[in-house]
Amino acid sequence: MLEIIDLKKSYGEKPVLRGVNLKVEPGEILGLIGSNGAGKTTIISIAAGLRTCDSGQVHIGSGRESEWDVVSEPRRAAGLIGLAPQDLGVYPMLTAEQNLMVFGELAGLGARAARARAHEVAEGLGLAGELAQTASTLSGGQARRLHTGMALMHRPSVLFLDEPTVGADVAARRAILGVVRSLAEAGAAIVYTTHYLTEVVDLGAHVAILEGGRIVLRDSVQALLSSHARPTVAVVTDGAPADLPGWVVVPDGPGGVQDRWSPSEGLLDLHTPTELVAGALARLPRGTRLVGIEISPPTLESAFLDVTGRAIAFDDNAREDAPDAIFA
Amino acid sequence: MPFSRKRAIARTSIRILANDPAPTIVMIAMPLILAAFLKPAMAAQLQAQGFSGANGAEQVIPGLAVMFAFLSTQVVSMLFYREHYWGTWERLRATGASASDVMIGKAVPLFFVMMVQLVVVFGAGGAFFGYRINGSFLALGALVAGLVAAVIGYAVMVVAIFKTLDQAMVIGNLGGMLMAGLGGALAPAASMPGWAQAAAHLSPAYWGLEGIRDVTLGHAGLVDVAGALVALTVFTVCCGLIAAIRFRPTEAKIGTT
Repeated sequence: MLEIIDLKKSYGEKPVLRGVNLKVEPGEILGLIGSNGAGKTTIISIAAGLRTCDSGQVHIGSGRESEWDVVSEPRRAAGLIGLAPQDLGVYPMLTAEQNLMVFGELAGLGARAARARAHEVAEGLGLAGELAQTASTLSGGQARRLHTGMALMHRPSVLFLDEPTVGADVAARRAILGVVRSLAEAGAAIVYTTHYLTEVVDLGAHVAILEGGRIVLRDSVQALLSSHARPTVAVVTDGAPADLPGWVVVPDGPGGVQDRWSPSEGLLDLHTPTELVAGALARLPRGTRLVGIEISPPTLESAFLDVTGRAIAFDDNAREDAPDAIFA
Repeated sequence: MPFSRKRAIARTSIRILANDPAPTIVMIAMPLILAAFLKPAMAAQLQAQGFSGANGAEQVIPGLAVMFAFLSTQVVSMLFYREHYWGTWERLRATGASASDVMIGKAVPLFFVMMVQLVVVFGAGGAFFGYRINGSFLALGALVAGLVAAVIGYAVMVVAIFKTLDQAMVIGNLGGMLMAGLGGALAPAASMPGWAQAAAHLSPAYWGLEGIRDVTLGHAGLVDVAGALVALTVFTVCCGLIAAIRFRPTEAKIGTT
């Protein structure tokens, strides 16, 4: 169990966390999402005992273990915490097995137990065949899996995974997500930050959105999608007629959504419900040639946009939820 | 649990050092190579000082061994700063490892590696250059251990103070060479100017080499070198205290050049 109470942190004069409250139950995966610089890593660093906070409490524990306040007793809480930081952290000249064993031994496992656990973790992450390889010879995806595995050696009650799939290939990502799911099934409370929002959906995680130094929304993915995301309708034309203004306002959408006209691509993005497609088409100027209509289902990204008013930073790899296309 | 953390960090340090033995091999080979050049000149100098039977190895072997021990501070620096470069420093801290766990977990293996380094240099000095001692082996061993502890204490203090590997390497090496030179690693301290002889008392190399000289050319035993051992201990403790006060586990260090 992880419970964060009124956590505040400033860097110099700049407040980053303005009173974060968060609870993650055993067996729960929480996708912590927010824009770059929102403070996700700061929360994790404080909760993992690596950084001090200005005020607040972070309780770590589970039903069978004592509960510790990380802020006041970070070393006692450390045994319950697993952390895979955002930046890769492995010993390049040690073998994968040695890298895993180091962290087992640091958690108090004997050499034999650490070796057995290393094999177990490697098996789960699809690294069993690479245990004898030095970490510097592993591929990027394998190194990322090893990096994650090092946080799992002592079966932590609370696991922080800070963008664990950055730079990982498809196989590595699948392996990491599989292990995260099985750890949650085993009772770990997991905080998972990512810019790949489809991963949060794939994990069946709950979502907490960090914005302006506070958690502005915490809910299940389904509840978030139904309350904050709409299907996206894109009307594709063969080009922009000269007299069409750059921005088109669709006043009959929910809340009167202002939508974007992309003349260079011949795209008119309308964040309107599907039933308004006809209305949108009617607004196209005479002579516009319709090439197609693309309807995208509600996405976590659009929900994030709706909640925060800004797009989350992501790269092309995150665009796995391609829209269904209906071409005219 | 805290002991298991120190042991795990020590085991990792040994594995890292074993995977990259080149610096240690260089620090063993270089004094022996240089000894071949410098031994005749040192023989003449010692004979001029009244040690008629001296062959030069009595000065050149301990002097160069100590000089390169001080240059080994860069091995200590690398062992700390690389953790930052590899991204493993934060991970160590997240396990609950304290500053003392990390310091002891790294310093103890380094102590043994540097002891081996010096023992090999002294042993090869005996085998190939005719280095012999008249005094107690126990006293020699205690002085070598005291010198190694002083070097590691100095190196850890440098790591604690400086933010980047470049700074630690430059300051560590320059400071180490200065202390070794002042201490009589290149020429007996007695042959240096008066001001340098006075300044030499601040150098642990001086106390270590004076003690070794007494064991080598005289007949000193453990009791006779007690003063030198105390001086080395005081230096080591002072460095350790400064390191403990200055060391900030949360400080982000730049671990590459």
